[in-house]
Amino acid sequence: MKTSLLLRLFLGAAAFCILLPAALLVLWSAAARWSWPNLLPESWSGRTVAELLFGPQNIWPLLGSSVSLGGAASVLSTLIGLLTARAAALYDFPGRGLVRFAGLLPLLIPGTVFAIGIHLVLLRAGLADTAAGVLLVHVMTALPYSISILTDVTAALGCGLEEQAAVLGAGPARGFFAVSLPELTPGILSSMSMAFILSYSQYFTTLIVGGGRVKTLALVLVPYIQGGDRSLASVYALAFTGSALVVFALFETLIRRWQRRGDKL
Amino acid sequence: MRKKRTAYLLLLPLMGVTALALLACGSVLTQSLGVVPAFGLTEPTLDYYREALTDPAFFSALGVSLRTALLSALAAAALGTALCGALVRLGRDRGPMAYLIRLPILTPHAVTALFAILLLSQTGLLARWARALGLLSEPGAFPQLLFTPSYGGTILAYLWKEIPFVAYFTLALMAGVSRTLGEAAENLGASPLGAFLTVTLPLSLPAVSQAFLIIFLFAFGGYELPLLLGATLPKALPVYAHLAYMHPDLRQRPAAMALYGLILLLSAALAALYGLLTRRLLRRVGGGQ
Repeated sequence: MKTSLLLRLFLGAAAFCILLPAALLVLWSAAARWSWPNLLPESWSGRTVAELLFGPQNIWPLLGSSVSLGGAASVLSTLIGLLTARAAALYDFPGRGLVRFAGLLPLLIPGTVFAIGIHLVLLRAGLADTAAGVLLVHVMTALPYSISILTDVTAALGCGLEEQAAVLGAGPARGFFAVSLPELTPGILSSMSMAFILSYSQYFTTLIVGGGRVKTLALVLVPYIQGGDRSLASVYALAFTGSALVVFALFETLIRRWQRRGDKL
Repeated sequence: MRKKRTAYLLLLPLMGVTALALLACGSVLTQSLGVVPAFGLTEPTLDYYREALTDPAFFSALGVSLRTALLSALAAAALGTALCGALVRLGRDRGPMAYLIRLPILTPHAVTALFAILLLSQTGLLARWARALGLLSEPGAFPQLLFTPSYGGTILAYLWKEIPFVAYFTLALMAGVSRTLGEAAENLGASPLGAFLTVTLPLSLPAVSQAFLIIFLFAFGGYELPLLLGATLPKALPVYAHLAYMHPDLRQRPAAMALYGLILLLSAALAALYGLLTRRLLRRVGGGQ
């Protein structure tokens, strides 16, 4: 069929456009010399990798602070998201419509204004330029996504199963942990993975609220891109994106495993 | 339904976060009115807004941000919907292609900016390909997309991230509509394209329209891409505001806050206007609730 061939070409072009820059990043990181107008680097070297691992910017503490900030933000944002989702999906109360709006609010405020404003508030609270302040603003940025993912899965599950457990004599805590939690696990994991990636790639919020004292991988990446050494910028970008994708793939594998486990039961 | 008190307890953290977000906006607006007790400024005034609104540099920055956001969001909405339609039509809404379109969404803006530099600069890969094909002989003949007042590179970089975002955002709704009503229309004799244009597309418009608003507002308030790919002059509004914010004289702070206040108020006004416009339009094509 002619249309389906055209559509296939279109999808192929889209896939090509998505993958091309990623391939280019790998080539540039390993290129020692790649001058105009050659289509491939003339020579290769491990200089950039050596600089990444042993250079002036010590990569390991940066990776450590990025990953621990992301991990903490993903747990907190998912926890608050779960509480909010339960209230919004399972309870009826005056002001329920406002919850949806409140959940989306940080998305509607422009990111730059949000960062500047939170910094002013944290200055007064004595939390500006601290890791705790940065964590707070990362959680707030990730929260709308966590709420939206978790409200969907909580509403789909409903509270019927927990009520059955209650009839059979289980307390509310046991009802939640033994009955609902296993069913919600895929949603919880995708909320965590989303929140992690969001925290991991924050630049402006970390810059403003951390005041230069809290350093993350995303923060040191930008000067390298501005610096003009394409190979060095590429290797940092590769380390940054690569480590984020590893975490993302880990979460996706966990979700699949969990779902397969559920199918077997 | 269950006890109300439990619901409010569950919502306490969200209320705290919401209060903090509102307080953040309030603090920006207060300082933009010239009230900064720490600097001995206590008298509210609209002078800083007046100053911003009489500065031609503000309007050129506003022009850059509006134009970049509008062009990138319009093109991304159109192409993203087409991509989504192709995915649904070929039954690829799950599987490897669905994972692949998440890659640009997960890629941070700073890395996207680097992609644009490696691909689109005058010595970038596209220029090299053009030379290999005999289309040009020297780098200067390749159109200058980066660091120019046209913000072409910024727009293209936004497109790389936002086309897949629109497709991803619309995918669940469009796949559902297509599998039910779209196929019904085809069974009743509509051509695949006809069924898409008259049934599936109009019913998927609410998701497309939401995605448009999200990416438009993001690009309007976005900092990294215009910083890394834009011109020295005119600057995009958030870059211009940040420059004012970094002014060494702290008494200039309220002037910077007035710029942030304007970004906030303009975003809210544009979102409200968009809400009004689309509600009518969607009702007319039958996609609104």
